[in-house]
Amino acid sequence: MLWVDKYRPKTLDKVIVHQDVAQNLQKLVSEGDCPHLLFYGPSGSGKKTLIMALLRQIFGPSADKVKVENKIWKVDVSFSLNFFFFSFRMQAGTRTIDVELTTLSSTHHVELNPSDAGFQDRYVVQEIIKEMAKNRPIDTKGKKGFKVLVLNEVDKLSREAQHSLRRTMEKYSASCRLILCSNSSSKVTEAVRSRCLNVRINAPMEEEIVNVLEFIAKKEGLQIPQGFAARIAEKSNRNLRRAVLTFEACRVQQYPFTNNQAIPPMDWEQYVSEIASDIMKEQSPKRLFEVRGKLYELLTNCIPPEIILKRLLFELLKKLDSELKHEVSNWAAHYEHRMRLGQKSIFHLEAFVAKFMSIYKSFLVSTFG
Amino acid sequence: MDGRSNVLLVAGPSGVGKTATIHAIALHLGVTIWEWTTPTPTVWPEHLHNSNSGLQYISKLDEFEGFVERVRKYGLTSPMLKGSQASVILLVDDLPVVNGRDVYGRLQRCLTLLVQLVRIPTAIVITNYDKDDSADLSTRCWEELLVSLYSAGACKVNFNPVTVNSIKKTLTTICRKEQREVDAGSIELIAKASGGDVRHAINSLQYLCLKPHRRPILPSKERLDNVRCMDDVFSLPFGKDETLSLFHALGKFLHNKRESEHTIASVRDTFLLKEKFVRFPLKMDAPEVVLCQAHGQARTLSEFLHENVLDFLSEEAIDDAWLVASYLSDADFLLSSLNGHLSRDFGAENIIQSAAASVAARGVLFGNAHPVPSRWHAIRRPKLWEVEQSSRRNKCQMFSQRSDLYNSLTITDQIVMATEFRPSLKWLGFRASESFQADGMVEDSTCLHENKLDLSDDEIEDW
Repeated sequence: MLWVDKYRPKTLDKVIVHQDVAQNLQKLVSEGDCPHLLFYGPSGSGKKTLIMALLRQIFGPSADKVKVENKIWKVDVSFSLNFFFFSFRMQAGTRTIDVELTTLSSTHHVELNPSDAGFQDRYVVQEIIKEMAKNRPIDTKGKKGFKVLVLNEVDKLSREAQHSLRRTMEKYSASCRLILCSNSSSKVTEAVRSRCLNVRINAPMEEEIVNVLEFIAKKEGLQIPQGFAARIAEKSNRNLRRAVLTFEACRVQQYPFTNNQAIPPMDWEQYVSEIASDIMKEQSPKRLFEVRGKLYELLTNCIPPEIILKRLLFELLKKLDSELKHEVSNWAAHYEHRMRLGQKSIFHLEAFVAKFMSIYKSFLVSTFG
Repeated sequence: MDGRSNVLLVAGPSGVGKTATIHAIALHLGVTIWEWTTPTPTVWPEHLHNSNSGLQYISKLDEFEGFVERVRKYGLTSPMLKGSQASVILLVDDLPVVNGRDVYGRLQRCLTLLVQLVRIPTAIVITNYDKDDSADLSTRCWEELLVSLYSAGACKVNFNPVTVNSIKKTLTTICRKEQREVDAGSIELIAKASGGDVRHAINSLQYLCLKPHRRPILPSKERLDNVRCMDDVFSLPFGKDETLSLFHALGKFLHNKRESEHTIASVRDTFLLKEKFVRFPLKMDAPEVVLCQAHGQARTLSEFLHENVLDFLSEEAIDDAWLVASYLSDADFLLSSLNGHLSRDFGAENIIQSAAASVAARGVLFGNAHPVPSRWHAIRRPKLWEVEQSSRRNKCQMFSQRSDLYNSLTITDQIVMATEFRPSLKWLGFRASESFQADGMVEDSTCLHENKLDLSDDEIEDW
């Protein structure tokens, strides 16, 4: 088992970071009920851990007994056609589509990633979640007669899906609670946000990460030199999961640790920084074409285009003259927006790279002649 | 027809008189033509209706195969035929439409058998569609079919497009016989515009003769020459619309051929544009017209342009590259703006499609302000397609790993998987290798390769 899983706190009173949030959550569910919840915060800040611990707090140890299911759901979709000649709309029939979905469930809760279904996500929300929400578990004590649905990556749901989610939340509020989990609350529609108790989970501070790493080292019986944990924490970008993964990677690479030991970088980040230096070195259509090849490489490895763009901007800004930073960031934001609206992310990524090259080249020409 | 087989292959473009020739020969020899008539096709709703009553669906190809089988074994035994078998020609004019490799293979086998074994004289008429559209799978299939039938022993007669002079002669004869007054200029125009298609020319002539009192406004002499060199057939009330292959259209956009200076006409109606927005006039029809002729899908077009356009920019022109990229980004945005709408509004979708195609094509033309001097470029197929496929495959693989690799209490997000777990596992390189990578990867990579090959065929077919 990876350390990230091994040392994930199982209960709310055992968490090391976000103790305040954990205490509040404990109070929240002390009555045995809770409102719909929306956990949001950056990746690796501990949202999932808190959610799992919360479930355990509500339902007891039986919430830990989960099974993974990969099931194909058959969803009947009725579709309609518009006729231009007669200005009416007729029901043209129904068809059945298959939606494959991985769920993780215990007797009390179901966890799923509706956005896995891609453009079919609205069917997941409309039909599948409804189906799950309807089935109310029966409890002997007559208490806790609700089921919890944990939905991940709500921010990646399409707008339509979020709209149908809103309906589901109202209609089945008697029998089910939704716990939503997302990276940014701004991509969740207002309507959904207002129906939930929003819980913001901050990225842990570097000192907190160091505490966690030292805790793990103690449990594993490892000696860590002074400042080594701080270096990992600094590299981790305040992402606890990443810090723990890196720590474990360091352990495999070299033990006993030395203070100047290289901390293994994420391969794709290295690749992006290569791309950035390629861009800085030459600005021409030919180079743009080469960059496109490298971007394709990243996309093939399922690195999300938004993250590529963000990282690329970060790398470029590091090397950039300060008077250009504003303009470049502006264009990056423009193309990130475009990317979200569009379909083929490479078009927009490439447009950003081209724009950067164009700006940078004219800057070089005007500065150095 | 002696020596080889009893089968005569007649090939050529449409409207050059292939079928008419067969009929003429039959008339001359005094024999009966017995033609394979295609059964009425079963449409899908009808089939659905029938399927309740237990009727099986029989495709046209199935029926054709049955027919060939019967002819081969028993000759023609239709009650309609009287007299001996020698006085019959079997004519196969309407081959079943086939799509896809295996169905095509069935047709080919069946026809080859016919060629080798049939005992009565047979003529198979094959129409060649656009020769220049070589990317089209079906065109290539027909050519292949011709070759294979020829090598199976059939005699082959190729019909070329009819020359302008012969068409003129034919039209004049018809005019004389019908006692219509049509001046030589119109006849020449029709003959030129028909592209070697007699049937089309005669139809055009008839159309022209419908209104004997209102003669069409005849183009001037220069205009006539234009007809040949500029493909400018749109202003005529008759004539065949030119069709272009997608590659032809792409070539036009990418090479971006322009006049070297402003013509007077364009100066007259010009708005005052800033220097940087001014481009020389195009040496082609409006991009929309070209798009219309090429029947290109906006999505495919923009992907092809995106893949290839950088080759056509000059070395230094990074500003142009951005301009082009930004227009392509606009086109992509337009194309996806309809996605996710529940009801399908085909009208709106069409408009958006054409708008996007127009933005992409015009963006490439406008953006490429300093095109490289013309030289030969191979047009690549978009690499994006491969990338999308393998990315999808990687994603599926990741999802399948997700459950068995981390028996944790939560489902891991895809992003986290790709950006954090996978790179770290590479560093850790332990359980990973024993649990999935070692056995799974090798098989997968080979099957991916096959998939790719299959898909590439399909995609070419799709254009």
